[in-house]
Amino acid sequence: MQEATFLILTALADGSQHGYGIITEVEQISDGRVRLRAGTLYTALDRLRADGLVTVDREEIVDNRLRRYYRLTPAGTEVLAAEAARMQANAHAAMARLNPLGAVT
Amino acid sequence: MSNSADLERGYRRVLACYPKAFRQENEEEILGVLMDTAEEGQQRVGLAEAAALVRGALRMRLRPGPGRPPRTVLAAVRLMCIGATVELAALVTMVATAGSLKAAVLARNPAQWHTALLILTTKEVAAPIGVALWLWLAWANGRGHDWARLIFTWFFGVLTVSLLAALAQHAVVYAPADLAALTALWLVALASMVLIFSKASSPYYRQQSAQQIQAAG
Repeated sequence: MQEATFLILTALADGSQHGYGIITEVEQISDGRVRLRAGTLYTALDRLRADGLVTVDREEIVDNRLRRYYRLTPAGTEVLAAEAARMQANAHAAMARLNPLGAVT
Repeated sequence: MSNSADLERGYRRVLACYPKAFRQENEEEILGVLMDTAEEGQQRVGLAEAAALVRGALRMRLRPGPGRPPRTVLAAVRLMCIGATVELAALVTMVATAGSLKAAVLARNPAQWHTALLILTTKEVAAPIGVALWLWLAWANGRGHDWARLIFTWFFGVLTVSLLAALAQHAVVYAPADLAALTALWLVALASMVLIFSKASSPYYRQQSAQQIQAAG
């Protein structure tokens, strides 16, 4: 899974978000390292929707503009949880090898 | 107010690269996000923003419909996009250096400069067509159209002939850089040929064309 995809799913993990909301959330989650571009976000969302991981929660009109809120589907939650567990296991293995004596730095 | 209208018009122009169905569904929403992320008083379309949009549009257009293509076909599609990029780079170099190139030809072969000029112009006209052809074949092969393999075979033939011609008469105008570009293109095409005609690819083309015939009937 690409990092952008992982971060988008993470941004939606605790509730629905609209496009701009996802961009700001992702920036926050990644400590300002990842600033999603609109083109990147919507290409990823289109794929995630096609794969059934993300769905449209509701639509609103704000300042004459359509605002769509997205949320994770149960399948999306599952995929994100599996990916997070995989990354955690990898990170854990790396840390254990870096500190073979169990010293926490 | 007029600033943001200009910016919006600019982004709308970039969004035109996306497939129609996607645009109908998402254009207004994406435009809203683009305007929200724009700097205060920004008038021009941001370069990084536009690049991300074009990349997304390309990815979406090359993304095949139902039934995902096997890795070999995806790799071939990627190679064809590289082919388009090499061709484009060659075109840009050619246009940028056209003046000095023509002068050099004139100095070296005064008697043949008409022919040389003709060849140069032909190449300048042919290159954009080549770029378009690479992209179109990438799209069509990604979709699994069986005819796309045939047209690509023909295209490979044309490339082979022009490479052989270049090797045979490089004394006239073919600069080493030009020959190198042509060789690179030919190698990319050769690898694509191997991929699209590989055992792993053929079932996909058969299945996709069967579906298309069914859909038409």
